Amino acid sequence: MSIVVVCAALFSLGVYGVMVRRDVIGILASIEVMLGAATLQLVAFAMSSGVADGARTEAVGLVILALAATEAAIGLGLLVSVARRSGRGRLDEMAEVEG
Amino acid sequence: MNITLSQVIFYLIASTGLAGAITVVSTRDVMRLILGLGMFLASVALYYLYYGLGFLAVAELFLYVGGVLVMMVIAIMTVHRSAETEPILTNRHSVGAAVMSTMLFALLVFGLSGAVPVTTLGGQDPGIAALGDAFLGVFLAHLEIVGGFLFIGLVAVLAITGGERE
Repeated sequence: MSIVVVCAALFSLGVYGVMVRRDVIGILASIEVMLGAATLQLVAFAMSSGVADGARTEAVGLVILALAATEAAIGLGLLVSVARRSGRGRLDEMAEVEG
Repeated sequence: MNITLSQVIFYLIASTGLAGAITVVSTRDVMRLILGLGMFLASVALYYLYYGLGFLAVAELFLYVGGVLVMMVIAIMTVHRSAETEPILTNRHSVGAAVMSTMLFALLVFGLSGAVPVTTLGGQDPGIAALGDAFLGVFLAHLEIVGGFLFIGLVAVLAITGGERE
């Protein structure tokens, strides 16, 4: 079993979670799983193939980490805002929210 | 079949990450979801350590396990208080989603197999000085752009959550 199988399994699990979850927290967590798997694959590819040195790989990883944290913060902010306004945390019910 | 220490560590980290991810997509309890996500993120950090990227592993732990997960708990507490109901995690069982995910898994493994060789334990840690050189050298523009994104994200979150305060 190589890192490709692990990352593919993690990414597929994230995709499955996005498709079957109905709550925002679950979907956000599944997206984080997908993002983590993709980043891990990128880092593993860079370190294994010798395309980039360790410092550059680490720098790209940190950039992706910061963007992922921003995405999580905005997603949670949206969740709190919508839940405050409507008292709902499920995605299919949020389709009815206006404004 | 001869199994090395490196392979044992690899399989242990992989099983931890997969268990965490399965918990994230399947559980209906909020705290278990957060614990599962923590397990997954910790395993990703361990993989970074496995590849010799110590600083990235520590950053992952600090930023995600220490930051994003705590933020998630606070958000869930806020939602719980405002909605006066337990935040229920729901999922629908879909055969189509399972089939699509399995096909995606097969496609990814088929497409990427052979592209990434299996590495052994103990990569070369580049060190903080080399990382600083990279960030202040070829990645200076990336660093500035990420800083801008973080600032925009902060302003966006403040605007989103503070807009409807009575």
